Amino acid sequence: MCWAAAWARPGPPRPPPDGAPYGLRFPVITVADMVRAQAMLIEALGIKDLFCVIGGSIGGMQALQWAAAYPAKVFACVPIATAARHSAQNIAFYEVGRQAIMADPDWRGGEYHASEVRPDKGLAVARMAAHITYLSEAGLRRKFDRGLQQRDGFSFGFNADFQVESYLRHQGQSFVDRFDANAYLYITRAIDYFDLAQDYGGSLAQAFKESATRFCVFSFSSDWHYPPFDNKAIARALVSAGCEVSYVEVETDKGHDAFLLEEPVFLQGLTGFIDAAAAARGLALKVPRG
Amino acid sequence: MSPDKIRADYSVILDMVAPGSRVLDVGCGDGALLQLLARERAAKGRGVELSQTGVNACVAKGLSVVQGDADRDLAAYPDNAFDYVILSKTIQAVRRPGDVLKELLRVGERGIVSLPNFGHWRMRLSLVSRGRMPVTTALPAAWHETENVHLCTVRDFAELAGALGLRVERAVPITNGEPGAPFARTLWRANWFAEEAVFLLNRA
Repeated sequence: MCWAAAWARPGPPRPPPDGAPYGLRFPVITVADMVRAQAMLIEALGIKDLFCVIGGSIGGMQALQWAAAYPAKVFACVPIATAARHSAQNIAFYEVGRQAIMADPDWRGGEYHASEVRPDKGLAVARMAAHITYLSEAGLRRKFDRGLQQRDGFSFGFNADFQVESYLRHQGQSFVDRFDANAYLYITRAIDYFDLAQDYGGSLAQAFKESATRFCVFSFSSDWHYPPFDNKAIARALVSAGCEVSYVEVETDKGHDAFLLEEPVFLQGLTGFIDAAAAARGLALKVPRG
Repeated sequence: MSPDKIRADYSVILDMVAPGSRVLDVGCGDGALLQLLARERAAKGRGVELSQTGVNACVAKGLSVVQGDADRDLAAYPDNAFDYVILSKTIQAVRRPGDVLKELLRVGERGIVSLPNFGHWRMRLSLVSRGRMPVTTALPAAWHETENVHLCTVRDFAELAGALGLRVERAVPITNGEPGAPFARTLWRANWFAEEAVFLLNRA
């Protein structure tokens, strides 16, 4: 079972009983709430347990939450490029994003759904700031360096002279078509609040005590959004809880985004883990390789 | 498993491990020893390995292996988490062998250490006659390229274990890929004639 981080679709959410859009009246939710909803869903679908819960980034947090809250329902768990607690630096970047959205006059205190406008500018800036944290300095240098859009030099104005500016603007603009601004506020807040150990007396190992789930944690060397040490902290907690755990640190300059990209070492490790877990579970899983 | 002959120190280690044990292999490479122990001794094995290729190979075999190193990553393991903690030809490559050894016997009830013997007569002869750091089939890398930063002799190791309050339960010399060494009835002689040695340690 997999899910992506970006699942908040644009457009007004289902209205509450009074008929008006929720706006900011919707309660702030947590990662645990998301997982509880997923657990209720699979129960409603008649699914008793899950072979493998895999997720990257916020998906990795959900995978960890799954394994901690429903250990008997999770045979294997693969947290990728994630953390058991969101760092101060990440909260800071998310706050920049939220402030950009809320500073957009079209946000209208969160009530924009009642009007024809959307806080697209604020949301685009939020995405631009966040997107930088998904890349790496080495990756940016390799891809863009100080390359210019026009060959005839600087415009000596404020257009996107540099390729990296143009790339970021594009990232921001394409994001607003598929993401809702208020959803961005709620989801980033849910991630800010995530600190799995807090629910287990401050000990992350305690969250996984007696767990029979087999884990494989993946991290990427140049990821500074969820750096290797955040992921390794998860692996260490699992080790000290006596869990079956593997930890793989993939060497790459693609930063946090690496988990969404074609990264042979990562895919090889992931495929190997899933195949081995399937064999242990007695599943005849054939993974096509190409 | 390759049909090749089992590595000499592996077969000695296999002999030392009781069936059904919990085993941690520190510096487990591609997981060959862990697989062997699982197959022959029904051991419940875990590993620690530094190299990406080694870790990936282990994960693909269904082994639980943490990418990390002996110097830093044993701290997370609880006391007595394993019946045996194994360092197969790894101790000479760690930064702080004494500390690693202490950790080994904290995490494990017993420790098993295999190592190349720098005191073997061929090493001594090579150093005396040529006046250069020995390059042999067992230790093929030149001094400036080797990862072995803490090479030692059999006696050096036994002395360190003693100084750390550890007891040598068994010591098996290896020569020409076989257990045993000529004249090796005492540690002093094994120090001349064993190419490698495997130590089974416990807390005295």
